[in-house]
Amino acid sequence: MSQSIRIDKVTFQNPILLASGTFGFGLEFPQVVRRLGGIVSKGITRRPRAGNPPPRIWEVPHGIINSVGLENPGVEEFVRTVLPAMRFGRAQVLVNVAGDTVEEYAEIIRRIDSELVAGFELNVSCPNVREGGVAFGRNPKLVGRIVKAAHRATSKLLVTKLTANFVDPVLTARAAEDAGSDAVSLINTVMAQAFDARGRPALGGGTGGLSGPAIKPFALYCVQRVAQAVRIPVIGGGGITCSQDVREFLLAGARMVQIGSINLVDPRAGIRILEEFCAQPRRLSK
Amino acid sequence: MKTQPAIHCARVVSRDELAPDIISVWLRVPAIARVVRPGQFIQVKVNYDNEPFLRRPFSVAQQQRDRIRIVFREVGRGTAALAQTRPGDEWSLLGSLGKPAPLVRNRDVIIVGGGIGSAPLLFLAERICRENRVHVLLGARKRRELILRTEFRRLGVKLSLSTDDGSLGAKGIVTDALADALRQTRCAQRQSGLSRHPARRHALNVGRQASFCPVVFACGPRPMLRKVKELAREFESYAFWEERMGCGTGICYGCAVKSAGSDRYIRFCQEGPVLRMSDIEL
Repeated sequence: MSQSIRIDKVTFQNPILLASGTFGFGLEFPQVVRRLGGIVSKGITRRPRAGNPPPRIWEVPHGIINSVGLENPGVEEFVRTVLPAMRFGRAQVLVNVAGDTVEEYAEIIRRIDSELVAGFELNVSCPNVREGGVAFGRNPKLVGRIVKAAHRATSKLLVTKLTANFVDPVLTARAAEDAGSDAVSLINTVMAQAFDARGRPALGGGTGGLSGPAIKPFALYCVQRVAQAVRIPVIGGGGITCSQDVREFLLAGARMVQIGSINLVDPRAGIRILEEFCAQPRRLSK
Repeated sequence: MKTQPAIHCARVVSRDELAPDIISVWLRVPAIARVVRPGQFIQVKVNYDNEPFLRRPFSVAQQQRDRIRIVFREVGRGTAALAQTRPGDEWSLLGSLGKPAPLVRNRDVIIVGGGIGSAPLLFLAERICRENRVHVLLGARKRRELILRTEFRRLGVKLSLSTDDGSLGAKGIVTDALADALRQTRCAQRQSGLSRHPARRHALNVGRQASFCPVVFACGPRPMLRKVKELAREFESYAFWEERMGCGTGICYGCAVKSAGSDRYIRFCQEGPVLRMSDIEL
C-alpha cells in the first residue's frame, strides 16, 4: 500500500521525516534516510558556526535538553562539500535555513538552489542562538516577512518551522500561511533550564531546548490547535518514539511527522517506526 | 575500512563486582566481537522502554572469541540499573563506535591507567604486547580499586603498580611512576644517540635491542591526563578520553570537544575516544 504524501509540488514516499539537527546531513546512515519521506538537514547559516561550548546535551526524565547552537559549516562550505553527497534516492532533502536577519534567509536559499534539494525549512524557532531563531518565531510580522523574502528567492517547497515558546503558534502559522508558506512544521524544542550537581547551569550555552517523550502531549496540543486554524499542511513532531505516536500526530491533524530525539537512541528508529506504521496504517489515522 | 555501526542483541554471560561499585560484564555479541578494536566503545540501552532516554557509552575492555567485556563504575541511574544485571539478560548494544587506537609496532609503549581508566587499556595492551616493548603503569587510590592487575600481569608485560595509600605497589600517584619511566626512556635514547624523528628512529631500530621510539597511552581522571600530557610533551601521546555523549554515531553534534589552538569543536564520538594529546585542551 502506498504511503506517499504530496505537499504542494513535492511527493514524499511516506509521512516520516528526520527532524533537523537530529540526523546531521544523513551521511552517517544514508540507507536509513533512503527509506523515509525525507531528511531535514542541520540548520545552515550564512557564515560557519562553531556551535555552543560543551556540555551540549543533558538528559532529564523522558527526554533531553540540548544546546548545540547551530554548529554548521556555513552555506558556502555546505554547498561545496556536503550537499553534493546528499543523494538519498526517493527520499526528499529539505534544507533547514537559519538567518540572523530577514534578508539572510533569502540569501542562503539563493546560494543553495540545487536540484538535490526539494525545499527549505525556515528555522524561526531555534532556542539556542543569540540572534534570530526563536526571537523571530515569536513575532508573526517577522515570520511573514521572512516567508515572503524566502518566497521571492525560490520556487521550491517552503516549510516554516514554528515555535510554541511564549507565543501562540496559531498566530505565526497564519502569518506564514498568508505570506505563502506551503506548510508549517512544529514544535521544535521547548525552552528549558537545568542545573548540574554543583548548582551550575548544566549546559555550556546556559539554557537549552527540551525534546523527547516529555514534550509529546504539549506538541500534540499545539499541532491540533494549528491544524484547525490553517489550510496549509502541518508537519507535526515532538517526542515521537513509535508508530502509535505517529498516529496520534495524524489524529491531531498533521499530514506528516518529524522524528527527532529517538534518532539519538537508535539511528534506525525511522525505519522501525515506518515498518510498524505500515503494518497497521489505518488503525488510528483519519 | 569503517563498518557501519548497528544495533545488536547481546547476552550477558557473567557479571562480577571487581571492587565496590565497579562492575565487570562479559557479553556474548558475535557481530561486535568480530570487528571491535582497542579504543572503540559501545552504547548500551538501559531499559527497553524509553527511560532513561539515552544509551550509555562504555569502552570495550577485552574481547575473546564472540564475547566482549565492559567494566564500569556505578555513577548514576543508568549505570545503577545496568549493575543489577544477571547472566542470561539481554542487552541492546549499538556499536562498535569511535576511532580505534593506533596499533603501533616496534615501539617502547608506556601505558598509564588511573583507577577504572585501566579497563580500555587492557584491550589495547592485549593487542599490542607482542609487537612492542610494553610497560604498564597502574594507579588507584587503594589496593581494592587497582582493578584488572591480574589480567595485565598475565600478558607478561612490565607492570608497575602504585596506590595513593601505599596498600599495594609504590606509595604515590601513577604519574610519579610515569616520570621515572620517562626519565629512563630519555636516558636510553640519549645513550643510543638516536634521532628524535620517529621514522628515522624506526629505521635505526631494525635489528637492535635498545631504545624503540616511545609512545604513551593514558586513561584516567582529567587531572591525571593533564599531568601525563605535561610529562610526556616531547613524545607521541594519546588520551583515552571520556565525554558526555548523545548519539555516539555522529548525527547529533552533542559531544563537542574543543580542538587545541583553534575555536573549532570536534565531534568526540567520531574523532575519539582516543585523541592525540597535542590535539586537545586538557
